Amino acid sequence: MGRGCAIALALVLFFLAIAIGEDDRVSDLLRRQAGSKDGIIELDDTGIRHLAASANRPYALLVFFDAHHLRERSGLKLDELRGEFSLLARSYIKNNAGGSGESKIFFCALEFQRAQASFAMFGVNALPHARFLAPGSGPLNASESMMELNDMVRSAEGMAAYVESKIRHKVGAIDRPPLVSRNQLLLVAAAAIVAAPYVLKKLLIEGKDTPFHNSKLWCVGALLVYFFSVAGGMHNIIRKMPLFMPDRNDPSKIVAFYQGSGMQLGAEGFAVGFLYTVVGLVVAFITHVLVRIKNKTTHRAILLVGMGVCFLAVRWVVALDHWKTGYEIHGYLPRGWL
Amino acid sequence: MEDRSAADAAVMERGKKIGSTGVGGGALVSGSGKRAFGTVLAALILCLIGIMAFSIRLFSVIKYESVIHEFDPYFNYRVTKYLTKAGIYEFWNWFDDRTWYPLGRVIGGTVYPGLTITAGTMWWILNAFNIPLSVETVCVFTAPIFSSFAAWATYLLTSEVKGRGAGLTAAALLAMVPSYISRSVAGSYDNEAVAIFALIFTFYLYVKTLNTGSLFYATLNALAYFYMVCSWGGYTFIINLIPMHVLLCIVTGRYSSRLYIAYAPLVILGTLLAALVPVVGFNAVMTSEHFASFLVFVIIHVAALAHYIKRVLSPKQYSTAVSFVITFGMAGAAALIAILAAMVAASPTKGWSGRSLSLLDPTYASKYIPIIASVSEHQPPTWPSYFMDINVLAFLVPAGIIACFLPLSDSSSFVVLYLVTSVYFSGVMVRLMLVLAPAACVLSGIALSEAFAVLTRSIKYQDLSESAAVDSTATLNSTNENEASVKEVKDKAPKRGKKKTVEKEVEKKRKRLLGLPMEASAVGILLLIIMGSFYVVHCVWAAAEAYSAPSIVLTSQTPDGGLHVFDDFREAYAWLNHNTGEDDKVASWWDYGYQTTAMANRTVIVDNNTWNNTHIATVGTAMSSPERQAWEIFQSLDVKYVFVIFGGLVGYPSDDINKFLWMVRIGGGVFPHIREPDYLRDGHYRIDSQATPTMLNCLMYKLSYYRFAEADGKGYDRVRRTEIGKKYFKLNYFEEVFTTQHWMVRIYKLKPPRNLVSAVKSKKRTQKKKTTR
Repeated sequence: MGRGCAIALALVLFFLAIAIGEDDRVSDLLRRQAGSKDGIIELDDTGIRHLAASANRPYALLVFFDAHHLRERSGLKLDELRGEFSLLARSYIKNNAGGSGESKIFFCALEFQRAQASFAMFGVNALPHARFLAPGSGPLNASESMMELNDMVRSAEGMAAYVESKIRHKVGAIDRPPLVSRNQLLLVAAAAIVAAPYVLKKLLIEGKDTPFHNSKLWCVGALLVYFFSVAGGMHNIIRKMPLFMPDRNDPSKIVAFYQGSGMQLGAEGFAVGFLYTVVGLVVAFITHVLVRIKNKTTHRAILLVGMGVCFLAVRWVVALDHWKTGYEIHGYLPRGWL
Repeated sequence: MEDRSAADAAVMERGKKIGSTGVGGGALVSGSGKRAFGTVLAALILCLIGIMAFSIRLFSVIKYESVIHEFDPYFNYRVTKYLTKAGIYEFWNWFDDRTWYPLGRVIGGTVYPGLTITAGTMWWILNAFNIPLSVETVCVFTAPIFSSFAAWATYLLTSEVKGRGAGLTAAALLAMVPSYISRSVAGSYDNEAVAIFALIFTFYLYVKTLNTGSLFYATLNALAYFYMVCSWGGYTFIINLIPMHVLLCIVTGRYSSRLYIAYAPLVILGTLLAALVPVVGFNAVMTSEHFASFLVFVIIHVAALAHYIKRVLSPKQYSTAVSFVITFGMAGAAALIAILAAMVAASPTKGWSGRSLSLLDPTYASKYIPIIASVSEHQPPTWPSYFMDINVLAFLVPAGIIACFLPLSDSSSFVVLYLVTSVYFSGVMVRLMLVLAPAACVLSGIALSEAFAVLTRSIKYQDLSESAAVDSTATLNSTNENEASVKEVKDKAPKRGKKKTVEKEVEKKRKRLLGLPMEASAVGILLLIIMGSFYVVHCVWAAAEAYSAPSIVLTSQTPDGGLHVFDDFREAYAWLNHNTGEDDKVASWWDYGYQTTAMANRTVIVDNNTWNNTHIATVGTAMSSPERQAWEIFQSLDVKYVFVIFGGLVGYPSDDINKFLWMVRIGGGVFPHIREPDYLRDGHYRIDSQATPTMLNCLMYKLSYYRFAEADGKGYDRVRRTEIGKKYFKLNYFEEVFTTQHWMVRIYKLKPPRNLVSAVKSKKRTQKKKTTR
């Protein structure tokens, strides 16, 4: 009997200890979370060991692997991803404060310099990378699952969907700060209201010589819009394409032209957009400006150079298009001619 | 008036150019004779352009057959057939019970009737002349016919802006621009086929009114706009572009009574007429897409008033009046803007439809409307798209823009504005390349024509310009004098018509003197001709190879150079038509709804008019569910037959298995027990042995791969390039009734409900199985 009691007591004490340990960890995490600016708990090797190692965690962890020295690499977009990750963290904390989801998941980050051992332990050798550590699981690298930071989950919304599917708990609306803050908007509106009478007066009374009446300005504007559009500029913005891309086979080289018609890189688009535009500009120059010059030699020289440029530009675009899309455009000449 | 006379001069200039280049010795012909000759020649060229526009679009008929293409055109065809059979009133009130079963769909009030009524009228006229063409034939050739009209409308528009030569060039370019061909080949019986013509023609009438200030053209303009509203949802482009241009004219100090006449009647008449179209109705005054036109309507009246007062008052009084009005008017304006902003903010989408918003804020769609973002024609294009769709025009447009600014007139500024807006929109959505194409043709036409004019002039008047070059200072002086006199003449032109001729003479003389060296000009002409030829080759290639596939009939090259035809779709629809009951309901994914109703004449559950998401989600859920649940869903919808499109045997990639994740997503959007991750193995969609059990047991998998392993012994899917995961299985609730020659369409019949006893038994049996597990 006494023995039984002792065992029971020991068990109770044991679980109590664990529970207290857990409580400690949860409250510690909550404290650190409240202390962090962006809702992300910065961890190092010991921290992650302490928080993640035990067999029965009541909380899940989403760990973002970060490296300060890789932040400059624009291709990795670590800054941007970290921003999105922090948006997710802040939104989750805000939406679930005081609720059942409060300590269900914590958002942590490991910096490479301070947590090299952890990087090795998780087997992370490429960034960007994020791991989900499910609650209650034992040894560290058995249960974790990788969050694929592909196109789908690059945004906070995409990450939220992933988190929701894992912890079965609503993240809630992502609280994205508006691009233009309210004060800025008010400032712009005030400026517009103040400027309006002046502009109106200028337009109505003087009726000329404002920038609006300068047709050259409009012409340049029209040409710029044209250049930007045919260069696929909107594609670059919507798809967030980089200007260049490192070569997969040889990272020291960069790829400026992407083969395949569904996608283009920024620099590539602007190069071709420039070729598209320059031909038209040369033609316009020849038809409208060159004819007014009264020197035959200048005529010949400029015409030859201009036509050469046009010819090369068109040929270049044709060749590039052929290379990129793989279309083979051909005429339908009668067989006898060939 | 100045612009008008300038435009007149330009017309003369071009007329002369055509006359002289056409004959080679224009000096022998008298002035009026030359003009008459030019007119006849232009008419002849326009005829040829019309024929070319029509015939370049016939590749699809020659290569395949006279058949309607793709999906939406089948719906339009069916509606046209109904219209010709039942008459216009029946059509207007048509409630279609053969689709969206059991809901049905009001057709008369939810379609843009322009295309249907156009084709119906054409059929009716032909029949009145005892030309017994079938409705289908008329529908197939509607688009090519209207392409010719569009080319002629382009001629009218461009010659109104920059003269006849530019008009002819632009018309020729438009007749074969690939972007437009892609939407108007024979058989492509869709709204855009007539809408592009309506668009260009409306713009022509607007510019014509702007140049003439005639109320007659203003009224015609409103009617053309009405036709556009009837034809295509893209009419909102017009009702925003024209106000933009009016605003631009007012802001840049180009307000005139002609502008007022061109705009005010269009807004009033146009809006009233637009409201007559059931599908638009009160949207014409209630949605934000139309607000710009009303705002500009107010502004133009303010501008008109200001101009009137300016005329009445002395400059000093006017300036005081303006200061007074501005000070007190600002308060009123602020209040008005606040009210407007509140009204707009009150509606959930800020009063704009998602599609329009995604044009203004290009990243909008990708963030908030996945269904718009997912459609391939809503993607932003890359630079090769421009090369594919407008080809060398992309090079010429900048020259056209600059030409339009030398000198800038009301009409040329409109063309530039049209180009700039459409090129921006095309950058956001590849589909809007279609709206860009006419603008690109107009401006390239202007550029090409001006370049040709300069180069041919240089060759023709070589002597003159050379003698001018000898005494360059004298010439410079004289041209300066000429320019001064031109200015003077221009200033007085409205009052003294006689001086016009003097002006023209001076202009002509001056232009003759502006020449380039002959041999270089010849090379230039040669290069332009090479460029033009390349354009023609590209367009013909695009028409023949890229845009002529009807997608209902497929072909492939056999190794020995022959042609293999896949006609499975029509085979299946014909089977359904001949072997199923008149009132049987057929279920399939929504892509095939229009074709089923049009070709098989059977009732469908969902179709390409995706107006009811829940209904589509129900079908998606059925396809993603295990056999029994799917059977129950279909049974509840009274469905008798289900068919799936399967490309695994012949390698047809746009089959249902490839679209399946969309069914899961859409189904899961409404019925949460369908979860996408259940169908994915580690985020990858696969149907091989690694596929998830949910995937291998869903109806879509079973109906697609039923008995597939018997066909080739291995069950190798040629689209997914893998062996399928589950090869041998039985169907308990469906029976295969028909599979087409290449297995592309597989039709199944729902087994009848078992009687109660056996159903109870089987239920018990399954329960037992579960417990033993």
